[in-house]
Amino acid sequence: MATPLITADGLGVKFVRNRRRQLRIREMFIHRGGRQPNPGEFWPLRDVNFAINPGDAVGVIGKNGTGKSTLLRLIAGVLIPDEGKINVNGKVAPLLELSAGFSNDLTGRENVHLVGSLHGLSNTFLKQNFDEIVDFAGEQVAKAIDTPVRHYSSGMKVRLGFSVIARLSHPILLVDEVMAVGDAEFRKKCYATIEKLLAEGRTLVLVSHNENDLTRFCNRGLYFDEGKLITDGTVREALDAYNAVVPT
Amino acid sequence: MTSSVMTLWDNRNALRLLVRRDLAVKYQQSFLGYLWSLIEPLGVAAIYWFVFGVLYGTQSNRHLGSADNSYPLYLITGIFAWSWANAAMGEATSALTGQARLITTMKVAREVFPIGRVVGRFAEFLAGLPILIVLAVVFGELHFDWQLLALPLAVLLQTVFLTGLALLLSSLNVLLRDVEKLMRLGLRVLFYATPIIYPLTLVRTSDMPGWVKTTYELNPLVGIMELYHSVWYPDMFPGAQLLGITAGASIVLLIGGWWVFRRLEPAVLKEL
Repeated sequence: MATPLITADGLGVKFVRNRRRQLRIREMFIHRGGRQPNPGEFWPLRDVNFAINPGDAVGVIGKNGTGKSTLLRLIAGVLIPDEGKINVNGKVAPLLELSAGFSNDLTGRENVHLVGSLHGLSNTFLKQNFDEIVDFAGEQVAKAIDTPVRHYSSGMKVRLGFSVIARLSHPILLVDEVMAVGDAEFRKKCYATIEKLLAEGRTLVLVSHNENDLTRFCNRGLYFDEGKLITDGTVREALDAYNAVVPT
Repeated sequence: MTSSVMTLWDNRNALRLLVRRDLAVKYQQSFLGYLWSLIEPLGVAAIYWFVFGVLYGTQSNRHLGSADNSYPLYLITGIFAWSWANAAMGEATSALTGQARLITTMKVAREVFPIGRVVGRFAEFLAGLPILIVLAVVFGELHFDWQLLALPLAVLLQTVFLTGLALLLSSLNVLLRDVEKLMRLGLRVLFYATPIIYPLTLVRTSDMPGWVKTTYELNPLVGIMELYHSVWYPDMFPGAQLLGITAGASIVLLIGGWWVFRRLEPAVLKEL
């Protein structure tokens, strides 16, 4: 068996619901053993264990607010766990908030270079593939590539963001409901791209409520409820567990 | 600590990109572009020159020493260094809160954001150096001598000081948004608590109690500012004690700031 690409070992994150608690700096600096449980704190994820192998396509399923996005943020490395460990052996291409790195005052062209380089694409690669990236984002974006992104519609930003990140050669793809935005035509392109990337042997972690998307891409499902990993099996099993709780 | 330095080194490319982006965004839209970073401090200097150089200028006990005949040069040197500190501290405070979306989706060492503000404002400071040199030539205070070495030393100490403070302020501000409000007052206090418009000797010869003077010199910017002045006026070079305090306080601030940043990072990421 290949060594897993992503492993979670007793993973847990604690959030503090009541912001006033957060304001007490003293507590953050002084760790007292056996602190009494704080009523305002809750665990969006706790005691989560799993291992994802290279080439897996994992669908993360669960109701709203059961820690799915938190899990993606942990894998992306933009959140630090309070308990346990998460090991990610490889770079991550986050298709989370696609327009996140864009500066509104810069043009589309400048933003492609900025975001691409921040994600680790080289300048020469970006220059060579620039036209392809823009073409993928659609005609509307291609026309406006030299105007500031602030004049773009949100759909245009998302499309441009997707075309940049889809170029990354990172082995792990994190996808969080991006397919929900964009029109039907662009969604088709997204599907095709993700299928192409999966065929290349990339590893996918997909968060979605759409049963069709999940069964289409994923060979494995993780069903979360109240921060706990309930089912770890095939997509079908995870979906069945989900549907058993939520009558459709 | 060493691992933090390593991650920062690994992220130097991101640092460069973010600094370039900030400068591009800042100057793209204004007609005068880069000149703005010079016009503003020069305008401020002109105001202080009018008040303290012209209106109060006839007093004989100004204690300006060798800068007595070149007060504008003395003033502008201080103001340029101060604008770097002022802008870096002010912008670093909101460095994390202002880019929350980028930080929560992209894995970049978080230190890059506050440090980028310090570096970006340093670029503007560099843009002002030619003006300082021209002024120094006009006033006949440019001496090609060892004293020019005070400039790199001052820049180094100021970078250390600002980096520490930027890390501290940016992470604290995420958890206590009051820091941003407090900084507006804090920066003003700091400006007057630093020998920029007045000379340090005026503080030393004043009849304030001794402990006030000692506290005053604990501010690392006092020593740093004296180093800048000594580039033109060698007799202002800070003594061993002041230099030691300045260097010590700056380094303590850097280590402390970095430590706090590391310590608060998990909480900061949740809060963003």
